Amino acid sequence: MEWFDPIDPSRKNSEFIAVESKSFLKEAWGRFCKNPMAVLGLVVIVILGLLSIFGPMLSPYAYDAQDTANQYAGFSMEHLLGTDKFGRDVFTRLCYGGRISLSIGFGAAIINTITGVVIGGLCGYIGGKFDNFVMRIVDIIYAMPSMIYVILIMMVFGSNVRSILIGICIPGWIGMARQVRGQLIALKEQEFSMAALVLGASDARILFKHLIVNAIGPIIVQVTFLVPNAIFTEAFLSFIGIGISAPMASWGSMAQDARQILTMYPSQLLLPTVCICITIFSLNFLGEGIGDAFNPKKK
Amino acid sequence: MSLLEINHLTTSFSTPQGTVRAVRDVSYHVDEGEVLGIVGESGSGKSVGMLTLMGLLAENGKVEEGKILFDGKDISPSGMNTRKEKQEYEKKMQEIRGREIGMIFQDPMTFLNPILKIGTQLTEGIRKHEKCSKGEAREKAVSLMKQVGIPSPEKRLEQYPFEFSGGMRQRIIIAAALACDPKLIIADEPTTALDVTVQAQILELLKKLTKERGTSVIMITHDLGVVATMCDRIAIMYAGKIVEEGTTDEIFYNPKHPYTMGLLNSINNSSKEDDEPLVPIPGTPPDLLKLPKGCAFMSRCPYTMKICEVQMPPMSRYSETHCCHCWLECKDEKYITVDKESGEAADE
Amino acid sequence: MSETVLEVKDLCKYFDVKRAGKGSQKVMAVDGISFEVKKGETFGLVGESGCGKSTLGRTILKIYEPTKGQILFEGNDITNISKKKMLPYRKKLQMIFQDPYASLNPRFTVGEIIEEPMVIHHMYSEEERKKRVQELLEIVGLKPDHIRRYPHEFSGGQRQRIGIARTLALDPDFIVCDEPISALDVSIQAQVINLLEEIQREKQISYLFIAHDLGMVKHISHRIGVMYLGHMVEIGNANDVYKNPLHPYSKALLSAEPIPDPKVAREKKRILLEGEIPSPINPPAGCPFHTRCPYAMEECSTASPASYELEGRKVACFLYSPRYLKQRENLAIEPLLAGR
Repeated sequence: MEWFDPIDPSRKNSEFIAVESKSFLKEAWGRFCKNPMAVLGLVVIVILGLLSIFGPMLSPYAYDAQDTANQYAGFSMEHLLGTDKFGRDVFTRLCYGGRISLSIGFGAAIINTITGVVIGGLCGYIGGKFDNFVMRIVDIIYAMPSMIYVILIMMVFGSNVRSILIGICIPGWIGMARQVRGQLIALKEQEFSMAALVLGASDARILFKHLIVNAIGPIIVQVTFLVPNAIFTEAFLSFIGIGISAPMASWGSMAQDARQILTMYPSQLLLPTVCICITIFSLNFLGEGIGDAFNPKKK
Repeated sequence: MSLLEINHLTTSFSTPQGTVRAVRDVSYHVDEGEVLGIVGESGSGKSVGMLTLMGLLAENGKVEEGKILFDGKDISPSGMNTRKEKQEYEKKMQEIRGREIGMIFQDPMTFLNPILKIGTQLTEGIRKHEKCSKGEAREKAVSLMKQVGIPSPEKRLEQYPFEFSGGMRQRIIIAAALACDPKLIIADEPTTALDVTVQAQILELLKKLTKERGTSVIMITHDLGVVATMCDRIAIMYAGKIVEEGTTDEIFYNPKHPYTMGLLNSINNSSKEDDEPLVPIPGTPPDLLKLPKGCAFMSRCPYTMKICEVQMPPMSRYSETHCCHCWLECKDEKYITVDKESGEAADE
Repeated sequence: MSETVLEVKDLCKYFDVKRAGKGSQKVMAVDGISFEVKKGETFGLVGESGCGKSTLGRTILKIYEPTKGQILFEGNDITNISKKKMLPYRKKLQMIFQDPYASLNPRFTVGEIIEEPMVIHHMYSEEERKKRVQELLEIVGLKPDHIRRYPHEFSGGQRQRIGIARTLALDPDFIVCDEPISALDVSIQAQVINLLEEIQREKQISYLFIAHDLGMVKHISHRIGVMYLGHMVEIGNANDVYKNPLHPYSKALLSAEPIPDPKVAREKKRILLEGEIPSPINPPAGCPFHTRCPYAMEECSTASPASYELEGRKVACFLYSPRYLKQRENLAIEPLLAGR
C-alpha cells in the first residue's frame, strides 16, 4: 500500500518558521494602529500641528494687527472666532499660540531627549566614579524647584521663547537620563552586549548599536511625557504672566488676557484652554498608545 | 483501582496569533503509591496538563474536552457554562488542592510569600485544611521540617524565605506539599533549578517520604536521568500528545516510538561506548499554531511515511502497561480512514 | 595535540560587593586557577552554580579584568594589555553564550548578527561578507532565506546555531563555550554538541567547554577540570575523571548525576553531600570543600591543599599528598583509588 511508502523529504521541512517576519518597529506600529484612542490622538496632534504652521499664513490678519473699531467681535465669517479686546483676530492668535506652544513642547522634548540619552547612556555604560559624579550633579539640579530656573533665565535673557526653552531644558532631561541609565545598566549585563565586547566592538558601537537601540521603547515612551510637560509649563508660565510677552500670543497668555473679562466674554478664555486640553489629552493618549505598543506584555 | 484517571483531555489557549491546543486528547492514569513520570520538551504540554487537572489554568486557557476522576470523584473542569457551575467547581478544587493533591513547583519562590515567615506560611496551610489549634499546627510544622531535613526547625520557622538557600526552599515546599498527607503529589520540574548535588538530596528525600506514606507522585520533567531514578511508569509527550507510555524498563530498554528512541539516542547514556557519537533528532519542535493533520513528529522523524502527514496514528499495545502511537507499529490498511481523494486534497 | 593554545596561571578574579553595615567585601569568584588548553583540544570545566566557572571563562576573554595571575594566549601575555592591543586577539578568542534568547541582539536581523564581527574587524568586501554569511548559515544547518529574519522568530536550538555562526565568522582558534546547551531541550542538545565537534574536527579549534552536566562534558571533552568555590579541585583525562574521580567532591558530583538508565540507577550508591555550597564572600579557611567533605581531616580546615600530581592527574586534596599516601599504605585504610 502506497500510504506506507516513505514520504518525499521536501514535505518535512523541519526548520520551517511559520511566523511572518516583522521588525520590532513594524510590529509596534501594528499594535499601535489597533488602539483607536491613540490613533485619534495622533490625528488630532497632526491637525493641530498643520493648523499652527499654516493657519497664520492663510489668515488675512496678522496676529498683532489691531482693529480698535472691532473689539470683542462675535463669531462671524470675517473673524471665524471673533476678536479680542484690541480687535485682533482670535483664530489667527490661537494658531500662532499653537505654533509657540507646540514648538516649545517638541523643541524641549528633542533637546531633553538628546541630552538625556547621551548623559544617561554614558553614565549607564561607563558606570563607576563617572556615573557617581554625574548622578550627584543630577541630584543637585533636581533638588531645586524647576520654576526657579525658568524665572532666573527669564530675568537674564528676557521673556521670550528661547528663555522658556532654556528654562524648561535645564532640569527637563533628568527623567530621561535616569530612565536611559537604568535601562543600560540592565542591558549591559545581557549576553548580547557581552558578545559584542568579545567580538571586539568599540565602545561607541556597543553603546549606540547594541544598548541604546534596545532601550528605544522606553525612550520613546519617555518622550511622549516630555512634550505635554513642556507645553503645560509654558502655558502655566504665560498664564501667571511671566512667559510670552505681548504682543506675541501663546495659549497661556491668551487665557491670562481673558481672565478679567471672563463673565462677559467667556469664549475668550474657553478657546485657548480647550486648545491646551485637547493637545494634552491627545498627547497623553498618544503616549499611552506608544507605551502599550512597545510593551505588549504589560497589558 | 487507579487513584487518578484522565480521559481525552484537551486544553487550548487563545492567543493573538490563534488558538493553540497545548494538550490534545491526553489520557492516562496513576495508581496508588505509584510514581508516574511525564517527560517532554518545552512546549510539549506537560505542565499545562497538570494545571488543567488542578484547575489553575490562566485566563486565556480553556478546557475543551475531557474527564478527570480523582479517587472516585469527578473533578472534570470541562463543560462548565454557568457561573454557578464554575463557582462550585472552584470550591471543590479548593478543598482538593493542598489537601488531597499537593504541588511542588520548579521555582519555590513563586509559591512562598516573601514577606511572611516560613512558620506562618506552613501553619496557615495546615490550619486551612485541618481543624486544629495554632499550637498543634506549629508542632506539626516542626515535625515536617525535621522530616525534610531542615536543622533546628524551631528557629528556622521564624525566618523569611530569602534567608533560605534554593535547596532549603525546595525542602520547605516539599514539607508544605506533604503537610496534609495528600494522596497525590504533582512535582513540576522540582529539581531543574537546583545544582546536581542538591538535586540528588532532594530526589532522595522525595523518594523516601513518598514511599513511607504510600503517596502517588506525578513527576513532570525533561530530564531522562531523573525519571530513570525516580519513576515506576513513564509517559512521553510530544506537541501536546502522549506518544508512548510504559513502565520505566519498557521505555528505556524497549522503546517503540521514533521520538522516544531519538531522545534516548541523543543523550549520553552509560550503555554507550566512550566515543560513540550522539545521534540528535534533526530539526526543531513544530509550531503549535501550525500542526500537521497527522502525526506532529512527522517533520523530524527518520521514518516518515505518506500516511503520517494526513492521519493521526492509532494506538498499538504491547503489554498491559506499554502502548505507543505510531504508524510504523501498525502498518495495516484497516486503520486508514482518510480516503485517497481527501488525502490527495490534503496533499495540495 | 601538543601545541598549547591557552595557558592560565594562578588566575584570580575578586569582585567587590558593598553590603549595608558590613562595608566592602570581596567575592572570591575565581581563586588561583591554573590550567592549559592544547590545540584542537576540548577542556571541559564542570562545577555547580556559584563555583566560578562562568567567571573564569569571562575573565579569560577579558570581559572581566583579572585581579591577579596570568593569561597566555599562544605564548603571548594578554593579561593586562590595552583594549586596542587586545583587538587582534579578539578575532582568535571567541565565546558561545549560555542563553540563546539573550545573546543575540533582538533588533538585528540574523544576517546583520552574523555579519557584525566581520564588519568590526573590517574583513572582506561587502559582497564577500554577504556570501560568507550564507556559507556560515549553511554550516550550522540553517537556510539562506533565514537571513532577513529576527532572532525571536527562531527556536532555542536555532538561535544557538546562529550564535555559533557568528562566532565562526572570525575563524577563531579558541572558543569559550559557556554552558551552550543547558538552556536547550534534550533532543536539541545533541545537535549543538555534534555541530561543535564537527567544527573542531575541520578547523582544529580548541574549546573551553563549561557545563554543569557531567555526562555531556565527558562526551565532548578530552580533559576535564572540576571546580568548587573558585578552586580547581581536579584535572585529568575525561575518561579517567569520569570513571574514577579522585577528589571527594568529584566523586560526590559524579555520583549525584542522575543516570538515564533505570537498572544502573537502581543499583547505584550515591554519596549524598550534606548541605550546600558555601558563599564565596566568606569562603571557609583551608580546603574550600572541608565543610561538606565526608573525608575531612583536621589539617583540611587550617591549610589549603596544593595540587598533587598523581597518575597524570592533578588533585587538590590532602588525601593524595605524598605524606598521607604513604601513611595510608602503612595503615591499609580504605582503597580510595579504587574505581567506583
